[in-house]
Amino acid sequence: MIIFRKVHKWFGKLHVLNDINLAVDAGEVLVVCGPSGSGKSTLIRCINRLESIQKGELIVDGMKVHDFKTKMTKLRAEIGFVFQQFNLYPHMTALENVTLAPTKVRKIRKQEAMEAGRQVLEKVGLGDKIDSYPAQLSGGQQQRVAIARGLCMRPKIMLFDEPTSALDPEMINEVLEVMRDLAKEGMTMVVVTHEMGFAREVAHRVAIMDVGQVIEIAPPEEFFSNPRNERTRLFLSKILRH
Amino acid sequence: MWTYYLTQLVHSLPFFLKGLWMTVAVSGISLVAGTILGFLWGIIRTRRSKFLYHLIGAWVDLIRGTPFLVQIFIVFFILPEAGIHLDAFPAAIISLTNLGACFICEIVAAGIRSVPWGQKEAATASGLTQLQQLRYVVMPQAMKTILPPLVGQYVLLIKDSSVVSAIGVMDVTRAGWLTVQRVPQGLMVFALVGILYFIICYPLIRLSNLLEKKMGRGTTSF
Repeated sequence: MIIFRKVHKWFGKLHVLNDINLAVDAGEVLVVCGPSGSGKSTLIRCINRLESIQKGELIVDGMKVHDFKTKMTKLRAEIGFVFQQFNLYPHMTALENVTLAPTKVRKIRKQEAMEAGRQVLEKVGLGDKIDSYPAQLSGGQQQRVAIARGLCMRPKIMLFDEPTSALDPEMINEVLEVMRDLAKEGMTMVVVTHEMGFAREVAHRVAIMDVGQVIEIAPPEEFFSNPRNERTRLFLSKILRH
Repeated sequence: MWTYYLTQLVHSLPFFLKGLWMTVAVSGISLVAGTILGFLWGIIRTRRSKFLYHLIGAWVDLIRGTPFLVQIFIVFFILPEAGIHLDAFPAAIISLTNLGACFICEIVAAGIRSVPWGQKEAATASGLTQLQQLRYVVMPQAMKTILPPLVGQYVLLIKDSSVVSAIGVMDVTRAGWLTVQRVPQGLMVFALVGILYFIICYPLIRLSNLLEKKMGRGTTSF
């Protein structure tokens, strides 16, 4: 589904992605963690070309992302992206937020899109908030609308860039619940997060990045109890204190 | 003596109203055309093309940094040397439209830049084209920042339109100049001119204040 082959990226002199070779299968849930500045956000943002790579190949759903001839609107329609800062459109209601892309990109009729939008908002537990504006919703609710907004496009892949990092602790769970259900349904997901509990329970594989490289990647049982790399051990010891 | 001049002035009222109508016409056409052009330039200035950014920027800086009187003289008196002959009315419209567009361009560009970057990213990530992003996500939000200063700019342009009297356009200022030759009471005559400008500007000033209050209220908090 997603293939990184010898991928490099620089921000000026900073080598932010250094020889990334990674493959994510359809239906797989990959969690990416690592210290600040490791390149994990950049990695995930390359998948739908919010950032572009400078060397190597990046193939998503059979399409070459690095090739400028690729129709990005076509590719991005298949990828849902959830931001740390939600980025909901403040001048639209929850329902309008989730139906904008389906009507304008997939050209679905408004009535159909609204019906589907209502169902997805119900699914994430916000059936009674469809006419609310983002300013009227809590952080957790806004993030769930953001997830619904991604889902309404019926994407093949969902990307999450630290989805709970900007939330108050009591709202983290409601978002993780939605993500857990999504994973159970077989969605291909790449999640950048610090929520190790989620990684342990839901991920098929966990990867750790540091200074632009994937240091280690393994199924959670192996990753958490018997990491092979010293840096992985160090990182885990720092964050698994509670 | 006083009352004699006052009666003369009152008799000239139809003349002033014709002038006022001309002011409204010149301002009105220039404001509409200037707004369209200004929005276009403003949007272009926020796109990726560095060449267009600097090209439009140079023109905008030039126009904003020179007196409007000089600009309109160039259009009316100096362009004919290059073979372009314009009547006073079209020359006035072109110059005032250009002036308006340059100021509005900067207001629009600033408004677009004020929309949080994350909004554009979210729209991009959903698969919306640049045009769709602008239309459905960016511009609706940018308008909150654009509208109050835009209306304020309209007031300035209406007042700037008084300069067109210098090339012979029969606006309300010119009506004042002509009248003061028969009614040598400068204060009275130009007080009337001032009042007439105020009548058309004041509603816009009130509108601008109202918009500023309304737009300021809609701030998100999360």
